[in-house]
Amino acid sequence: MNSNTPSSSAGGIGSADTTGARRNSKRPKYSRFTQQELPACKPILTPKWVISAFLLVSIVFIPIGVVSLYASRDVVEIVHRYDTDCIPADARNDKVGFIQSPRVKTCNRTLRVPKYMKKPIYIYYQLDNFYQNHRRYVKSRSDQQLRKTGSENDTSACKPEDNNGMTIVPCGLVAWSLFNDTYNFTRNNQLLAINKRGISWKSDRDHKFGKDVYPKNFQNSTLIGGAHLDPLKPLSEQEDLIVWMRTAALPTFRKLYGKIETDLQAGDFINVTLENNYNTYSFDGKKKLVLSTTSWLGGKNDFLGKAYLTVGGLCFFLATWRSIIFVMESESRSLNKLLTDILVNAFLGTT
Amino acid sequence: MKRYIYINHDDLAQDLYCDNRISNRKYTLWNFLPKNLWEQFSRFMNQYFLLIACLQLWSLITPVNPASTWGPLIFIFAVSATKEAWDDYNRYLSDKKANEKEVWVVRQGVKKLIQSQDIHVGNIVWLRENDEVPCDLVLLGTADPQGICYVETAALDGETDLKTRVIPSASMGIDFELLHKIKGVIECPSPDKDIRRFDANLRLFPPFLDNDMCPLTIKNTLLQSCYLRNTEWACGVAVYTGNETKLGMSRGIAEPKLTAVDAMIDKLTGAIFVFQIVVVIVLGIAGNIWKNTEAKKQWYVEYPNESPWYELLIIPLRFELLCSIMIPISIKVSLDLVKSLYAKFIDWDDQMVDLETRIRSHATNTAISEDLGQVEYILTDKTGTLTENKMIFKRCCIRGTFYGNENGDALSDAELLNAVSTGSTDVIQFLKVMAICNTVVPIQSNTGVISYKAQSQDEEALVRAAASLHMVFVNKNGNVLEINFNGLLLRYEVLDILEFTSDRKRMSVVVKCCLSGKIYLLSKGADEAILPLARSGQQTRTFSEAVEQYAQLGLRTLCLASRELDDDEYREWSLMFKEANSKLVDREWRVAEVCQRLEHDFEILGVAAIEDRLQDGVPETISTLRKAGINFWMLTGDKQNTAIQIALSCNFVSPEPKGQLLLLSGKTEDEVCRSLERVLLTMRITNTEPKDVAFVVDGWALEIALKHYRKAFTELAILSRTAICCRVTPSQKAQLVELLKSCDYRTLAIGDGGNDVRMIQQADIGVGISGREGLQAARAADYSIGKFRFLTRLILVHGRYSYNRTAFLSQYSFYKSLLICFIQIFFSFISGVSGTSLFNSVSLMAYNVFYTSIPVLVSVLDKDLSENTVMQHPQILFYCQAGRLLNPSTFAGWFGRALFHAIVVFVITIHSFVFEKSEMEEVSMVALSGCIWLQAFVVALETNSFTILQHLAIWGNLVAFYAINLIVSAIPSSEMHTIMFRLCRQPLYWTTIILITMAGMGPVLALKYFRYTYRSSKINILQQAERLGGPILSLGNIESQSRSLEKDISPLSISQPKNRNPVYEPLLSDSPSATRRSIGPGTPFDFFQSQTRLSSTYMRNSKDN
Repeated sequence: MNSNTPSSSAGGIGSADTTGARRNSKRPKYSRFTQQELPACKPILTPKWVISAFLLVSIVFIPIGVVSLYASRDVVEIVHRYDTDCIPADARNDKVGFIQSPRVKTCNRTLRVPKYMKKPIYIYYQLDNFYQNHRRYVKSRSDQQLRKTGSENDTSACKPEDNNGMTIVPCGLVAWSLFNDTYNFTRNNQLLAINKRGISWKSDRDHKFGKDVYPKNFQNSTLIGGAHLDPLKPLSEQEDLIVWMRTAALPTFRKLYGKIETDLQAGDFINVTLENNYNTYSFDGKKKLVLSTTSWLGGKNDFLGKAYLTVGGLCFFLATWRSIIFVMESESRSLNKLLTDILVNAFLGTT
Repeated sequence: MKRYIYINHDDLAQDLYCDNRISNRKYTLWNFLPKNLWEQFSRFMNQYFLLIACLQLWSLITPVNPASTWGPLIFIFAVSATKEAWDDYNRYLSDKKANEKEVWVVRQGVKKLIQSQDIHVGNIVWLRENDEVPCDLVLLGTADPQGICYVETAALDGETDLKTRVIPSASMGIDFELLHKIKGVIECPSPDKDIRRFDANLRLFPPFLDNDMCPLTIKNTLLQSCYLRNTEWACGVAVYTGNETKLGMSRGIAEPKLTAVDAMIDKLTGAIFVFQIVVVIVLGIAGNIWKNTEAKKQWYVEYPNESPWYELLIIPLRFELLCSIMIPISIKVSLDLVKSLYAKFIDWDDQMVDLETRIRSHATNTAISEDLGQVEYILTDKTGTLTENKMIFKRCCIRGTFYGNENGDALSDAELLNAVSTGSTDVIQFLKVMAICNTVVPIQSNTGVISYKAQSQDEEALVRAAASLHMVFVNKNGNVLEINFNGLLLRYEVLDILEFTSDRKRMSVVVKCCLSGKIYLLSKGADEAILPLARSGQQTRTFSEAVEQYAQLGLRTLCLASRELDDDEYREWSLMFKEANSKLVDREWRVAEVCQRLEHDFEILGVAAIEDRLQDGVPETISTLRKAGINFWMLTGDKQNTAIQIALSCNFVSPEPKGQLLLLSGKTEDEVCRSLERVLLTMRITNTEPKDVAFVVDGWALEIALKHYRKAFTELAILSRTAICCRVTPSQKAQLVELLKSCDYRTLAIGDGGNDVRMIQQADIGVGISGREGLQAARAADYSIGKFRFLTRLILVHGRYSYNRTAFLSQYSFYKSLLICFIQIFFSFISGVSGTSLFNSVSLMAYNVFYTSIPVLVSVLDKDLSENTVMQHPQILFYCQAGRLLNPSTFAGWFGRALFHAIVVFVITIHSFVFEKSEMEEVSMVALSGCIWLQAFVVALETNSFTILQHLAIWGNLVAFYAINLIVSAIPSSEMHTIMFRLCRQPLYWTTIILITMAGMGPVLALKYFRYTYRSSKINILQQAERLGGPILSLGNIESQSRSLEKDISPLSISQPKNRNPVYEPLLSDSPSATRRSIGPGTPFDFFQSQTRLSSTYMRNSKDN
């Protein structure tokens, strides 16, 4: 019986071959795709590959980290918190009451320039604990209305600041709560000119805020949120509003107030006369005035540089450790096993 | 439950029963939309998405534009609705074609050409040669004077041979012209789907004939979709029309099968859903608290003091909507897409084409390819599945003389040829039975060559053998058979045919010799159905010995017998037979009883042995799949000895020293019980020994065991890796499948014949072999293949790849959804827990639909190991069987990875884009880009083999992301106008993205590398071997390990029926136990290794042979 099987199978293969040849020639469409035979490269994680990958990353990352750290250190930044200091001593117990009262809120501060600051110097105001990204807030605006006069009544999204008997332009909580502190700078009793043109995005001025849309009924209701707008200037020229309307994603944010187009020398004293109007006291928000230069990476921010150095360093450590193991592996297998077992257990076992 | 059909009675016919309009359509033009929607919404996932989409219409709570959910939802619904509509339209077209086909029908006594759909029950339909039968007809007349016609029933049951149909005796001899005017009544059962039965009666009205009832059987019918062949014309009366025909009734919608992977995905979806609810509740509470404490102070938010009653619900609902993307809407679509591609790969596979018949493999069920990779039990039929079902007459024993024993072929045995030429009576009688006792139809071609059309392969083999021994069955002319014996023409008139049934296991014919006028009963059948019926005095010992001997050789045996009948005896019996045949109730049983009255006192003539060759590559296939850890059960209707011999010859069981067969037998409950206990005991003992134990059970004992000792038998089933069940009925086959399924095993049933259909439908996966027994099994099956050996490729290549790919794709889908969802959740912590969405609607929608779905779709091309490696090391299938690549633990890994990546993206983004840079749209776009980059690298890292398409999809997608966003940024009215331009110009953006990518991928890569090096799975070892060195290294590895671990092997035990404890491979797991488990010599690898050990014994065995 056993002798039967091989002979029969041999016959079967023989007959299959002849028909097979015929089939192959007639096969309509042989495709490497349909046969799942597309040429493929199959990388595997060899030690060499992984070590060189990590080494490469560390080689790239460490210089970038150093460069960006330098860029960040190059930026000169003056941050001055004034929210508490600008409240007169007698009103400190009731800051909210003070800010809501009609009292004069002018306040003088002096800033010292620590290092030479090259123009342009950007003036920012920084708000802390201010949730421009709150859902109720961020949605309360009408882009249609800002763009075109015709869509003036398109205020359905603007609740609760949509109308006060008459349609408000610009409507919504965002516009209503426009920041209204003002700053004036003097150096050696000389006024430092603040350039407030071009502080907003050009695309916003051109496309998002209409040239023929003028503020209407703005801040007319009993509850006044923030700044008033000049009803004679079209929205596209109300740059403070345009900047403000670009809502921030984080509760701590800076917004551009203007630019100083002169260099500041180290040791210069700058007097700031500011109108402290904006209410951040009811929610314990901070207000800061920031003067800052800029670098190719933007403002002063060590995070990227440090992160790059950390990642690069870790990669370098990993690469060297692995190459030591790799070298040892080729020398002594048993020793290697012992060591790696310890290391692996330390690494994987404890994490 | 009967219908009375008045033949040719136009008035009565109209309304009682439906017309012949065939409708396979599921929908009509009007109900399409509601019905389709209703069907789609009956799925939980869809209901969930609809609920989310509806909630989004409430602008107070929606975080994004409702379009971001409605868009994909409508898209997905539109896709599946279009597919349904297209299928239905095609069905409509084919229906229309069939319905408008013109046929000749008698109307008001005149033949008219009408459309097929206008046929009514009772109409007389005329057919010409090669016409398709439009509805179920009862034959009334044919061109043949004997009232015979031939039909091809391939469309109905897949059998390609011609079948004879005869007109009922009542309408015999009616003139061609008078057939128009025939009147009568047919009493028949209500429509059913049994295409093998039609128990009805016909009574013709005067003037045609007397009032006698004339019995009708399936033999008198022409069923819808058959073709009339070799007959000039035929006419019949319509009995079942439209969708009530036998064909129409048997069209059923098979219950959809759910794969283990699908079930797992559903489970994981459920878990994610629960997680989502928890997140929503926690964030909802936190949000309300924040609102009441903090937000009231934030004057610019202007929370009203008065709030509506549902105020408390708003924030949780917002978070629900925000988190709804956790369950990826795209996963069902992606899975459907890749699954149909897996099926296509099977269809396209050139290595699974049967070169002889050119039958391609075909996946009928496109949804269950992953299950192929998780098969644990294969239940196989024997005849036609393991064997070729090409019967060849090999040996015979006539009156105690053995022919063909020397050279293995009786046809060339000189002794037999000699006996034929000398005219030995015994031999001639034997040959006559071979030639006559059958239902074969000889077809003489113009050149004079006779070919035989037979329903049974055995009969054909016998007739052919008889022909080559000069007993040529020349012609069948009605009831008269012509046999040419050495130039002498013998005529026999067939009086009755006592048909074969699987219960009777024999068939007989009653013939009348036209020369002598003597009546004979000729029978053939299984030994136990014939030998006990021998006339008293005849020694049957030699015959049973012959049967035994042939069975030992793996041959099929048939005993041939005859008896001369008295005229009186026959006449008496004939009446009973007619009566039984005209019964409407229990006809089969009654007929069998009547047959038994005639079949006794046989003169046993001899035993014929027929060889059924093993198919190519069956032993190799079985041993390969064995190595892959798949257990085999053979379920056959054949004799025990034959089954065992076949099992031995195809590596199914090992011969004596290594293997051991345990017989489970018994006729009574007690015997079976004792036998079962004995077998179980042996099984438990030998399980610890490296011995290959199989049990053998026959149908009778199986019946008792399943009925009374189900528990014990289940234990036996779990313990035994191999079983041979012989003499089992189709329903027992299905019961065994059910039994294994109830033990939570994945079963695959493979078979080729109609008797396997039930088990094929019952099993998790049904594979049909499109063989000689017709296409019945192949049609019912999920996969049809041409040869048994393709099973290896089907399971090891297609099944395994499908499982791996789906495992990756589904988990990845969750990963990417979770990633973006976690970022949203983190963002809500810095946005006053108010439910603000960081991402805008367009980005969210595109993220799910384009950016992340397309790269992952090409994972259908991924191959972790080459096909050859898998074939050489089938053990690797264990990873799929045990579900190691998709289980809660691997999912936890992906979950962890999503969390980690979300933290990386979020933290780096909000620390890089601070202060004056923290503009909402910009931050959102930076975070989104970070996600896209990470997901591209994740896909790349998880891809094992890169083809050009993968590169294109992964990196092209990244390019497309920037292209799309730059385009959108150029549209002034879009929310993200100019954002992408601004970002791309900033060095800060690019440095941030690179940092995110490295910080996200570095640890993942390192972890993967450590796992690869120190906790490498067998897959990794094989990958290494495949790409660096030869396969020798790896095999050595596996084997050496297995030897050292041999002592630790824990036997499979009943308390733990499933020893497929998946070794979890968390990708970013932080649980030390999960990683530690895989290192120790504990359970997980045992099974794997014990299998390699077993398989090595198999290899040794095959070498010994």
